[in-house]
Amino acid sequence: MTRGADVPADAPAAPAAEVAAPIRRPGAWPPAFVASQADRDALVVLAHLEGMPPAELHSLAWREGAASACLAAVTRGASATPGDRRIAAAVDPGAVRSALARIGARVVTPADPEYPERLLHLPDPPACLFVRGRRLAVGGESGPAVGIVGARASSAYGREVAAEIAAGVASAGVAVVSGAARGIDGCAHRGALRAGGPTVAVLGSGIDVAYPRANRRLIEEIAAAGTVISEYPPGMPPHQRRFPARNRIVAALARAVLVVEGAPKSGSLITVEFATDLGRDVMAVPGPVTSPLSIVPHELIRDGAALIRSADDVLAVLGLPPEPGRRALGSGPPAADASPDERRLLEAIAGGPTTADAAARTAGLDPARTLAALVSLELSGAIRAVGGRYERAGRGHGPVPDAPEGG
Amino acid sequence: MYARAHAVAVVGVRGFVVSVEAHVGRGLPALLLTGLPGAAVQDARERVRPAVENSGLEWPLRRVTVNLSPADLRKDGPGFDLPIAAAVLGATGQLRQGRLEGYALAGELSLRGALMPTPGILSVAAAAARARLRGVVVPEANAAEAALVDGLEVVGAPSLARVAEFARGAWTPQAPSPSADPAPDVGSADLADVRGQAEARRALEIAAAGGHNLLLVGPPGSGKTMLARRLPTILPAMSRDEALDVTALHSVAGLLPPGEGLVRARPFRAPHHSISAAGLLGGGSGGIRPGEISLAHHGVLFLDEVNEFRRDVLEGLRQPLEDGRVVVVRASGAVDFPARFALVAAANPCPCGFDGDTRRRCRCLPHRLEAYRQRLSGPLLDRVDIRLRVPRLSRSELLGSEAGEGSAAVRERVEAARERQRRRFGPRPVRCNAEMSGAAARRAALLTPGAEAVLSRAVDRYALTGRGFDRALKVARTVADLDASDRIAEHHLLEALRFRGDDERAEDAGVA
Repeated sequence: MTRGADVPADAPAAPAAEVAAPIRRPGAWPPAFVASQADRDALVVLAHLEGMPPAELHSLAWREGAASACLAAVTRGASATPGDRRIAAAVDPGAVRSALARIGARVVTPADPEYPERLLHLPDPPACLFVRGRRLAVGGESGPAVGIVGARASSAYGREVAAEIAAGVASAGVAVVSGAARGIDGCAHRGALRAGGPTVAVLGSGIDVAYPRANRRLIEEIAAAGTVISEYPPGMPPHQRRFPARNRIVAALARAVLVVEGAPKSGSLITVEFATDLGRDVMAVPGPVTSPLSIVPHELIRDGAALIRSADDVLAVLGLPPEPGRRALGSGPPAADASPDERRLLEAIAGGPTTADAAARTAGLDPARTLAALVSLELSGAIRAVGGRYERAGRGHGPVPDAPEGG
Repeated sequence: MYARAHAVAVVGVRGFVVSVEAHVGRGLPALLLTGLPGAAVQDARERVRPAVENSGLEWPLRRVTVNLSPADLRKDGPGFDLPIAAAVLGATGQLRQGRLEGYALAGELSLRGALMPTPGILSVAAAAARARLRGVVVPEANAAEAALVDGLEVVGAPSLARVAEFARGAWTPQAPSPSADPAPDVGSADLADVRGQAEARRALEIAAAGGHNLLLVGPPGSGKTMLARRLPTILPAMSRDEALDVTALHSVAGLLPPGEGLVRARPFRAPHHSISAAGLLGGGSGGIRPGEISLAHHGVLFLDEVNEFRRDVLEGLRQPLEDGRVVVVRASGAVDFPARFALVAAANPCPCGFDGDTRRRCRCLPHRLEAYRQRLSGPLLDRVDIRLRVPRLSRSELLGSEAGEGSAAVRERVEAARERQRRRFGPRPVRCNAEMSGAAARRAALLTPGAEAVLSRAVDRYALTGRGFDRALKVARTVADLDASDRIAEHHLLEALRFRGDDERAEDAGVA
């Protein structure tokens, strides 16, 4: 079989070079890919096939044309593995549709206006998305989106910066896209939700599977106030190999990707790689040079990523004006209601995590008064206790609302 | 051909006077032992005969029957060697009975006839005194211990031969030095040894003052063990009654150094996390021995790596933490030991130990971290009022910090705070703030308006649970007592909130 035979006769403008390297083919789907309800049902079934990566389905689509023809090719054995053929035969689209209805999710195909154009920048765009919550509005007229990713085992510093920046960009109308994972991801979503701005969670598991379980409530909140999307049908368990695929969607939806904390070999690097391939801007938040979590962001900055200190820095990268009247991170809390003791302690711990003794010594206070003053500062959200030391929380706006309880 | 001697059976820490009857009659030479003897008492059959023969006395080559009565009480321990020997020698006319009539005898014999240090002698002496006996005859090494009981003549004998001489009136024992109660030996540990760690030092002081249990969470090398060891040194000195309780328990367990009298230092027990339920709570086959929690009675029980202990073992701590005593039930009967101790639990913040460390990164996988923390929670933690993160100090932090106050100065404040609590609680069974119920803590709170404001902010900010709320009030009450204040002021409550224990967790909890 020659390569030319792969291209259907009616495939318009599929340049020969693309055929030679099918992985790098631009993401457009064939024009008649989704023309009928049968095609939509076929896509729902095809979404269940674990052995068929999106790139393969994409090539198949260009060979077969319509989605229903792709499914037919799978069932007759022209494509896919025997296991996938069994799955394809077993899935009942009607049952899947009612499962989706139960959780208030819908199917979005490339034929639907809700399907974001930007996903077609991918060489292997998702053929079908499951969507909960608000209309998936990123790019074009609905305004830009920014991806915020980073370490799952993050530091308090990273979590706070992620939430703070997410809140800042979201209140300017920029959608915050992330993976609803632990650590930075979750905090980015929470920040956007707190600001009442748009946020999109891209799951690496079935649309109805909350992973990690501790973020179940967060995911529900996003589904209520933002958008939760997944390439995977209801019931699909999370799996490591699905997370890079999820990251490609985060990178594709975003106009720029921000990395907040990452140790070497971090999963964030995968998102960065997709972003670079897609021509998205890469940004990073610096951290203490003593922390291993700063290694990835610092390397990115050295390699040319934009250095981000605040939401305004992100807005500048996106070409948007800064928000007026916002205090920069790290400018500290308003000292107006702090007592003189408290003010001296704030000075004393400005250099980073400090023990109570050291803070008392620097501030010249006795230990008992120091402890009371430190808790008072913690209550006002000006500092926080981490592992038996204290550090500035850098947040000036009153008490910090508590995180939703985990699990 | 018949004679009788008094002995004491020790059940738990309590002694019961038992009579040992001996009859020497016709028949093949044998020693029969009746009256529910335990395994160690059965052993006496093999020990007593050589001991008698090696003491220049004669063992009757006849049928010897020894009966322990009352017959329904199980008799345990090696202390029965001496009374059995005495009864048999009495029955063969080799020992003058009259002289020994008013004495309870106890002591283990060696084959040479020497009297060996024997556990439980304090309980023996106390039982003899209760039974209004004249005195006790015990091994010389235990004489000081027996002499702790008032109004009892103590004969400390080195050997069976001496006991026989004593019965003849041919030997007068040296009166044991009337327990020259030595000053409490707090050992070389002192709170001044702890550098830095002002928060942890303060937590120890509050724990000591209010009788609160304590949880220390920190990476290896942060000094958790060092801190825990210093809690006994700042607790109020033990009263004589408390010291007698502790001495009796340690004596029964065979942990009293020979020749020692009263234990004056508060015990510090640090069992390894592989300990069994019987080891921790008490039990064992044969005689029921006090467990670590009873050996820590009136002192400190330190559980390092608390979440490595077996879960069922930790569960067993609930009732003793509640009641101050433990009931050990075995097939041979139920025994009840006192177990009122201060608990200090210590744990690493995560399996690798580096969570929250400023220099090294925690490498624990999130789900392992969650499982680890899960094991830390539970009913045991409910009884822990003070919880603290202890950082591992860097060299410069250590070098920069000055030595803190010594134990003696802190103990003075602790004693004053305890005195305030005693006055406030009056005749109620509650003796310290930690023993208050939640409702009592709320009644005793007496917050100033400033403190009330702090409390309501804390409830919002830290999402305090009902229990967390009560714990904060109890600890604040103790802080105020240390400050000699009837009302809980703002700074008292703030300090108490420092020890509520949900420091920034490594996971998402911190940021909303």
